[in-house]
Amino acid sequence: MVFKHERCWFALTMLLLVLPLGACARSEAASRTPVVFWHEMTGPGQEQLKQFAKEFNASQTKYRVEPQFEGNYNEAVQKILHTHGTSASPAVFQSMDVSTSQLYHAKIGTPMQHFIDRDHYDINQTSPVARAFYSQNGNQISMPFNTSQPVLYYNASLLKRLGIKAPPVDPSYSDITRVAKAISAKSHGKVKGLTVEEYGWLFEQFMANGNEHLANHEDGRTGIPTKVQLNTPGTQAAMKWVRENIQAGDFIDYGAGSQAESNEIAAFLAGKLGIFIQSSAYISQLLAGTKDELGITYYPHQDGKPRNGVAVGGASLWISNDKPKDVQQGAWEFVKYVMTAKAQAQWQAATGYLALNKDSQKQPILQKLYKQHPSAQIPSQQLATIKANTANSGVFMEGVIQERNLAQTAMAQIYNGKDINKALAIAEKGLNRTVASTNQANHYK
Amino acid sequence: MLESLPQNSNLQDPDVQSALVQITTSARWRKDSLYVTLFLGPSLLLLSVFVFWPMIKTLYLSLFLTDNLGHASVFVGLSNYVNLFKDPAYLSSLGATLLYVIAVSVLTIVLGMLLAVAAQQHLQGIRFFRTIFSSTMGISVSVAAIFWLFAFNPSVGVFAQISQVLHLPEINWLADPHFALLAVIITTVWMNLGFTFLILFGALQQLPSSLFEAAKIAGVNKTTQFFKISLPLISPTLFFVLVVTLIDAFKSFGLIDLMTVGGPNNATNLLVYRVYQDAFLNGNYGLASTESVILTVIIAIITLLQFKLLGKRVNY
Repeated sequence: MVFKHERCWFALTMLLLVLPLGACARSEAASRTPVVFWHEMTGPGQEQLKQFAKEFNASQTKYRVEPQFEGNYNEAVQKILHTHGTSASPAVFQSMDVSTSQLYHAKIGTPMQHFIDRDHYDINQTSPVARAFYSQNGNQISMPFNTSQPVLYYNASLLKRLGIKAPPVDPSYSDITRVAKAISAKSHGKVKGLTVEEYGWLFEQFMANGNEHLANHEDGRTGIPTKVQLNTPGTQAAMKWVRENIQAGDFIDYGAGSQAESNEIAAFLAGKLGIFIQSSAYISQLLAGTKDELGITYYPHQDGKPRNGVAVGGASLWISNDKPKDVQQGAWEFVKYVMTAKAQAQWQAATGYLALNKDSQKQPILQKLYKQHPSAQIPSQQLATIKANTANSGVFMEGVIQERNLAQTAMAQIYNGKDINKALAIAEKGLNRTVASTNQANHYK
Repeated sequence: MLESLPQNSNLQDPDVQSALVQITTSARWRKDSLYVTLFLGPSLLLLSVFVFWPMIKTLYLSLFLTDNLGHASVFVGLSNYVNLFKDPAYLSSLGATLLYVIAVSVLTIVLGMLLAVAAQQHLQGIRFFRTIFSSTMGISVSVAAIFWLFAFNPSVGVFAQISQVLHLPEINWLADPHFALLAVIITTVWMNLGFTFLILFGALQQLPSSLFEAAKIAGVNKTTQFFKISLPLISPTLFFVLVVTLIDAFKSFGLIDLMTVGGPNNATNLLVYRVYQDAFLNGNYGLASTESVILTVIIAIITLLQFKLLGKRVNY
């Protein structure tokens, strides 16, 4: 009997627990259209996205945005492609810069331009350089979202202590060489002058900043690329610059990948490294990690050549075309929400990614940040002063990931003493082979 | 069945006899096959779906170029294989993998053996050391990677600081192609040691003490005891550890991904990592399938060789 009673109680408790849940879920589901949002942000970015979804959901009663973390960028692309057309696919998703061409050709998204035209949405408030990366033939494919650009960081306090003149805000290679040499000399070799990560993204930026196209058809903006070049006057000059610093003993090589990034940041924060080039998205981590004053400049350019400006990196937001109209509408409403001046300012302050709305710079949250750390506005200034052209709008080509691997390998070889011309030529040949095979496999002409 | 046979037939006739045998065996076979399907069916089904079908599909994809959705699009025959074996980067990966596998297996077993023998000594506080020796078993790959990344950091790492104090040349462990593989080997061996130690130590503890007492009375020294008694007796365990370590080393992925991402200059781009890169970063499933097939064949050949050559020397 006792046993029976216990069972009764158990059943009753469970029922009481479950009933209100079910009721809640039903009333929620009946009134709101769910909009599943796939993203790849971790840390502060993920927290801020959750916050955005919460605020958006509270701001209206029609849709319920559900953010879901999907692992890293590369994993997410595969998931997006392979779930498309099934009930498991997202309504809106974040996808990295280099997969743009692949997703575009896979035809899985409703172009942003469709919504922009229909709503007469003012796209001009969004940064033109960022927009250009994610558009083709004047059509906005996806909405630029978390956006960074590479910048040059230096330890301003260290320079002051050693009595070294800071580099100009738009430095040439030789400006940086001078500072790096002085850091090494005046610290008696205790502090290394400079590092540039072995990283294909940075390699591309040397070309963009020198106004060189990596792929033919203007980096794929006027047609599908059939030929690529990595061995150019611009890349040779950049590699010679690095080589010069290596030979002088002012350069330290941290290798490639995330370990290289964490190592160079650890060294920089510990005051053992003077200068490094890296994504502007690291800015909040750097500001939080040291009491030293942080110095920032634009991406360095070749001597005697004006900077053309660097391309953006990061990811954009896509709306899947396999969802019903009302779901797509909900996704679009959410995209508009995160692109407002206020949301973008909040995004930059929280993560270090650049606010893309022109009016964000005046928002109090960013004004406060700039007042505290004047150098924090340099990345935004760099972005705002670049005139978009086909050389600095990213390479619109499938196989950019392979390009980055090959360029990275070439950089590693050069840093370790291989002939610059030879290393670049091998990478170029390998990439041309990859491009040919990709085009053949996808039946591109 | 048997009842239906004509009663008046001559059962002495050999033809009839063999027919009878056939009928009974086929009846038994039918009954058995029911049980066979019942018992093997579920696992066969699971294996087909999750093992055999993917294997066949991999073999199939290795003969194709794949499009941006990962579908087979252009049949290229064996040219994926031919191209791979002509690619110097792939060949250097192959070399690096063999070097890595051999170094990891040998070092793990030798060091594991040393620790196991050391832990057998009856000393005060030996239990503490036994725990320490096997502790890396409980450490996950990511924790180990972070720990060693800090140690190898060229600016603030332990090794850098030691070499600075001793005025030794600075080694850039993870960025120098000559040292990166060594760094990963050190880390892997360290990771593997816990498991190897525990297994070998367990095997040594199991040996009957009477043998050693007899050897001691006969005046056999410790070294000879080890090589003539201990080693032959634990050879099955040693063989097991060797096979497991070797196959594990071939499949090494986590440490590479966390420490070097295959770099610098492909020095640590081992075969498994290359498969991952080609499939999940480059989206080139055809090539990745080709690489998987090659890797499978290599592991199969080596395991077979181990069983053929070493298997004979093992005393069970």
